[in-house]
Amino acid sequence: MIDSFKNLEVITFPEIANITFRKIEKSYLKVILINLSLLFLVLFALLFVADYINFFELQYTFLRFYISLSFVYLIVVFIKIIGLKKRKYAVREKDISYKKGLFFKSLTTVPFNRIQHVEIDQGPIARFFNLASLSVFTAGDSSEDLKISGLLKEDAQQIKEYISNQIDE
Amino acid sequence: MNNTLNFSQFRHQSKKGIVIIYLNLLYKVFKAFWLLLFLFIQKFAKIPENTLTFIYIGLGFLLLFFLIRAFLIFKNFQFKIYNNHFILKKGILKKTNTSIPFDRIQNINYKQNIIQQIINVHEVNIETAGSSKAEISIKALSIIEAKALKKAITIYDKKDAANEEEIIEKPLLKIGFFELIKVSLTENHLQSLLILFALLVGFFQQISDLFDGLGKREILDNYISENTSTLETSVVLIIGLLIFFTIIAVLSSVVRVVLRHFDLTVFIKNNALEINQGLTTKKSVVLKKAKVQHITVSTNPIKKWLGISFITFKQAISGKVKKKQDKVIKIVGCKKAQVLEIKNLLFPNENLEGFTKNLPDIYFRFRLYFRTLILLILINIGLFFGFENNYVFGLNVIILPIFILFIKLKYKKRYYFFNEELLVVGQGSIETHKTILPFFKVQNVKLKQTIFQVKKNVADIVFQTASGKVKIPCIPIEKALLIYNYTLYKIEISKKSWM
Repeated sequence: MIDSFKNLEVITFPEIANITFRKIEKSYLKVILINLSLLFLVLFALLFVADYINFFELQYTFLRFYISLSFVYLIVVFIKIIGLKKRKYAVREKDISYKKGLFFKSLTTVPFNRIQHVEIDQGPIARFFNLASLSVFTAGDSSEDLKISGLLKEDAQQIKEYISNQIDE
Repeated sequence: MNNTLNFSQFRHQSKKGIVIIYLNLLYKVFKAFWLLLFLFIQKFAKIPENTLTFIYIGLGFLLLFFLIRAFLIFKNFQFKIYNNHFILKKGILKKTNTSIPFDRIQNINYKQNIIQQIINVHEVNIETAGSSKAEISIKALSIIEAKALKKAITIYDKKDAANEEEIIEKPLLKIGFFELIKVSLTENHLQSLLILFALLVGFFQQISDLFDGLGKREILDNYISENTSTLETSVVLIIGLLIFFTIIAVLSSVVRVVLRHFDLTVFIKNNALEINQGLTTKKSVVLKKAKVQHITVSTNPIKKWLGISFITFKQAISGKVKKKQDKVIKIVGCKKAQVLEIKNLLFPNENLEGFTKNLPDIYFRFRLYFRTLILLILINIGLFFGFENNYVFGLNVIILPIFILFIKLKYKKRYYFFNEELLVVGQGSIETHKTILPFFKVQNVKLKQTIFQVKKNVADIVFQTASGKVKIPCIPIEKALLIYNYTLYKIEISKKSWM
């Protein structure tokens, strides 16, 4: 019987575990917080309207809903703050990698010679902080490819150019 | 070359194409409005005569309108071959001009639905890699034209065009009718039943929408509840229903398999597989080696006993295709020798024998049990709220052993191993699937760990290919990293095109 792993040990290749990952920009936290706060503001507004017109026709006060929504907001913010520290990326000679996740960790690597195209986009709030996100697309149902948010605009541009050059070679 | 086979000038499809386009248009309209038609026929007697004449005239105009439309579609549909490009002009008001370079063309497939079979024309579909809007379908060509077109396009592809003539006409695989019945009887009947159910539910939805619109909802509801109340009391009826469903399930899989795979023949031509099959809709597909991303060889206990299995070929999906089904090609009833031959054709000089199967970590079983537990709790909550009767919880006694059996099988059948070029992943519960994926066809790799998996030092590894994902769940992290690195290495040094 042949062991697949022993069979391969003749070759040495670069190891993903040994490379240093870079964290994304700290100011991205502000973008996340503003986005989140806007979302919850809308939720609170909805709740307020429901309270005002007594939509659910409840007997008791609405206070508990406000408190629980605030609680959810705090928890989400807390998770986002910790989760942000886990978002890291690395660009190597031939591929680009991205790590993320607190409870669900994931590490994705896309080799340059499989990339179809690269995109940079900037949301309105991110633009204010000069941040951008870089998306990499490969063939197939490209829903699950790699997207790095919270890069400095210049960094994103630089990576994009680097990848484009690598693809053309 | 005579004039009919000259593609350098713009030309129309066969004149019979008008019929096909016309019927196609009518079919689309019928599909959208069949319920109205049904109502019309039902109320036929009550409609006053002069209204009826108007309706007839209207219908006549409608038919004429579609005929003219079909004619215009036909008139404006022109194609030619120019400078190694396939060029297509179409559109009545909104003109489109498509030009596809030959090297972008993935496949040229023939198809014949029942009408095309009657008037003896072939539909030619040109599949391209890239944006899905560039898929071209020529509705009607005679077989000579179709073959000539295909040759004109593919001749560029092969330098040794001379070899084209020396096709070995002995098929690799030919499934006769009785063989096919044998295959269909051993299908996954439960799946057939579910597909049938899905169809019926869609059908029922349409009907109930109709009744809803007419304000006769209660009639239907009453009818159903009347019948269900008697159902609850009678055990005999339930058993009867079970037998009925079993028969329906078997019948539906027989019909499905026969319709789809009738007269299945597989040829090996120029390093590609040519697959012909279908009863009402005959399909001829050419599978080029390079386009196949991964294959899965599957069997189930009865099929295994008969020594047959089926092979699913996954081709690269271009963009966001609606009908993913088309990119999955299945051939049934393969014997061991044929499976081996196909394997040798797609992956020559690769030895996959004698490898130790690497098994998933014990955590995989734990996760299966955990997920099942959640499912069970959900089912019980559903039962609690859905039924007044406490006896329904007895259902657990039946479900539980089945679930445990499934988990045991699932855990047992999971394995993976790899040689230098190929990764083999085994999985299944009742059925057994074996997926073979060349490392260099992978698009990107992903390592996933939940917080529990981190504690247990195991990880899932997901290979994204151009035709879907291949997953190895819950293997030790050191091994996962090794495979991860090795896959990247293989992709990055590969000079071969993945498609």
